[in-house]
Amino acid sequence: MKEFLPEEIIVERGSEGSLIYRNLRAALPQVPFRFVEPNGQGPWGGILSESAAGGRGATRRGEDISTANGNGDFGAAKKKLLLTRHKGEFLKKCPGSDGQVCCNYFVVNFASNCPMDCSYCYLQEYLAQNPALKVFSNVDDLMAEADELLAKHPRFFFRIGTGEITDSLALEPYIGFAREVVPFFARQPNVLLELKTKSACVDRLLGLDPKERVVVSWSMNPQPVIDRDEHGTASLEERLRAARRCQEAGYRLGFHFDPMVEYPGWEDDYRRLVEEIFATVDWRRISWLSLGVLRQTPGLRRIMGERFPRTKLLTGEQVSCPDGKLRYFQPLRVAMYRKMVGWIRRAAPTVKIYLCMESKEVWEQVFGYAPSCEKELGNQLTNFGI
Amino acid sequence: MARWLAWDQPDRDALYRLAFALKIGENHLRDLMDWLEEISLRDGLQVRQILGNRAVSDVESDPRLGRADKLKRIKDQIRRRRFPRLAQTEDSIRARVQELKLQPEIRLTVPPGLEGGRLRVEFDASSQDELQRLIAKLADATGKEAMREIFGLLAGRTPADK
Repeated sequence: MKEFLPEEIIVERGSEGSLIYRNLRAALPQVPFRFVEPNGQGPWGGILSESAAGGRGATRRGEDISTANGNGDFGAAKKKLLLTRHKGEFLKKCPGSDGQVCCNYFVVNFASNCPMDCSYCYLQEYLAQNPALKVFSNVDDLMAEADELLAKHPRFFFRIGTGEITDSLALEPYIGFAREVVPFFARQPNVLLELKTKSACVDRLLGLDPKERVVVSWSMNPQPVIDRDEHGTASLEERLRAARRCQEAGYRLGFHFDPMVEYPGWEDDYRRLVEEIFATVDWRRISWLSLGVLRQTPGLRRIMGERFPRTKLLTGEQVSCPDGKLRYFQPLRVAMYRKMVGWIRRAAPTVKIYLCMESKEVWEQVFGYAPSCEKELGNQLTNFGI
Repeated sequence: MARWLAWDQPDRDALYRLAFALKIGENHLRDLMDWLEEISLRDGLQVRQILGNRAVSDVESDPRLGRADKLKRIKDQIRRRRFPRLAQTEDSIRARVQELKLQPEIRLTVPPGLEGGRLRVEFDASSQDELQRLIAKLADATGKEAMREIFGLLAGRTPADK
């Protein structure tokens, strides 16, 4: 996995007392830090660099935010890190996709964007106007909000993930976020926290006690797909080794075969991938596996074509679906899912498998049934999760 | 335009010649350019090689066809090359529908791109007798192997999966 070494860290005033700030300082002593007044307030009317603090000039905050946003270059935005306070709600219901079976999942956004650079990543479009790699410093607010929500609905069992608009663990060695929140969620009676990653950054998790409340999960693809389209991520071997270490440390595991990519030879590669996973970890302590094929909106397709013109991901036999996304045509992807389910079942007969962002028709063609509502699928996953 | 200009000159010329001869409109041209670029990337071919393929050039030079028919057929040829398995599945379903030998009053169709996995059945009748006859014919068709295969194909099963 490529080491994260930002060109600079931009700190919004008010964040410098946070634990995340202290962790960043300790982990990245060689990286320059710059400070910005929130909302352009303060005697400098904006940005203040460390050198400026000594009286040698300043730049405006607008310029700095533009810099953090990569000046419109999505890839450049990943090379700086902005530490700021999150002003809205941290916890949100996962929006799912129009008309598709939903799994009743909640997301908590502790960061935005990701240091890795997968060519199919939907954040390229979703964060196109605001691509700065941000980490939110007010983790206490996040936990207070979660505490209030969980206490308010004691009979509802929540599944909450942190990997919706960032990777849950790729920044962990530098920010120590998971190390802070795992003990909090481990104490809660009605939640499963999912940390979803393509990294192998699990060292800091291993000494914690997840008390059956934390699932560490990996997005999985065969090594040829990782090499071609998951730039800067951990290798398959590194992910598997990290998963095993987490399982040995008491964490439950999840695996997401998402996005599954169809190409000549995909069957052999994915069958071997499934075999390798079950040869490495104990499937009885896997909470869930999900399957989802490569999908993208027309807008994301354009961006992928511009940023990764040689990727062959755009040459698959994808058609437009009712939710506006392009997927492999239905008979093809149903056949892919069915094969994957067969390989998984051979090794792990009762492990819970679900489809991500698929229609009831596809569920029925793959499994012979479809969940009647999102609550049903959410409950099933919770029951398997704990 | 900028996209077309980014192509090699011989590729540009090949598409220009076709677009000019058939007076291809913007939407059709965009579809063609998408497919040609994607085939080119996937199969390692030049656009001029794809357009120079005999399946395309035969249609282009066929004196029996009008401009609109030529465009339709050329688009179909290029779409088939871009989506070979989708086209093959559509052909297989079409062949099974023909095997059922239904009357013209009964129409079986599948959704574009086969998305949704459903077979649409339409029929119209001008009398009660005709309606009974059509329903009987349709009921008979539902038990046939070809009908079972149609649903199998929509669900990603090929006859080889039996």
